[in-house]
Amino acid sequence: MPDFDKLDKAIHEKGRLSIMTLLATRMAWSFQDLKAELNMSDGNLITHLRTLHKLGLVAVTKEIRDRPQTSYALTAKGRSAFQEYLRVLEQILKAGRK
Amino acid sequence: MHERERAEEDLRVIRTLMERATIYRAISAPTALAGGVLAVALTAIIWVRELHWAARAPEVMRHISTRGFASLWLAALAIVIALNTFFVWRRAQRDGRPFFSPSMKLALRSILPCLFLPAATTIWFFYDGYEFDNELLLVRVWIGFYGLALIATQHFAPRSLVILGWAFLITAAAMIVASRQLEYYATPLVPNLAMGVTFGLYHLIYAACVWKSPAPAESE
Repeated sequence: MPDFDKLDKAIHEKGRLSIMTLLATRMAWSFQDLKAELNMSDGNLITHLRTLHKLGLVAVTKEIRDRPQTSYALTAKGRSAFQEYLRVLEQILKAGRK
Repeated sequence: MHERERAEEDLRVIRTLMERATIYRAISAPTALAGGVLAVALTAIIWVRELHWAARAPEVMRHISTRGFASLWLAALAIVIALNTFFVWRRAQRDGRPFFSPSMKLALRSILPCLFLPAATTIWFFYDGYEFDNELLLVRVWIGFYGLALIATQHFAPRSLVILGWAFLITAAAMIVASRQLEYYATPLVPNLAMGVTFGLYHLIYAACVWKSPAPAESE
């Protein structure tokens, strides 16, 4: 039977799961937009993003237009990790119905 | 908490966030209802007033000026925009989210280019266009480009809003095809009726259809 041990621990934390979910919806998100959408503090958000970046799940792009802007996107590894996470969740729900 | 419940909770979080990030209803049910009622009321007022004066002074072709007609409808638009702004602000306050959400910015970026030409046509109408009773042209542009603006949000809007957009666009196209027949009738009755049917009736039907939508939160 599938269980939570199979879930990616990096994604399983609620804050990081929310970040991964938003990043899966678009090509890239700016830090400000992520912060606005998730209603997280700067410190909390940056900590989660750094964790995901270190694990190679999230790519960071820094640009200077009118002002410095940092945007975040899922890497190929991050996208497949998120898909795998969803697959395991689905299995858990299916097993629970039996 | 059991594993299944935790999985359900995780999926609920994922679903809510994905909907919030990917679905945006540029016109909420309350805004559509308010706009629809206002448009129907304004149509009725102009219609009754014209008929009243036509009976008392039949030698005069029309009683509301062309610029007066356009001004009344622009005033109605201003009221609906103010109401919509209030609904968005109230929702943002309740959810503890910013007024200019990323979804709203995306919607504005999609919609605004479609409103550029109607704005230019309206300016032209107030300078020159009014002299030749051009309300029918103005109304066709308003209806058609409003429809295009709604369709422009199709990548993140619910299906109902896109259908509403198509209803406007098809109506405007039909009005262009039937130009000769429509121009036969006295202005401003036909343009007035067209505004009442589209901005009034269509919005009321839309409001009735989406009023109990499961995610009204995303709308305003």
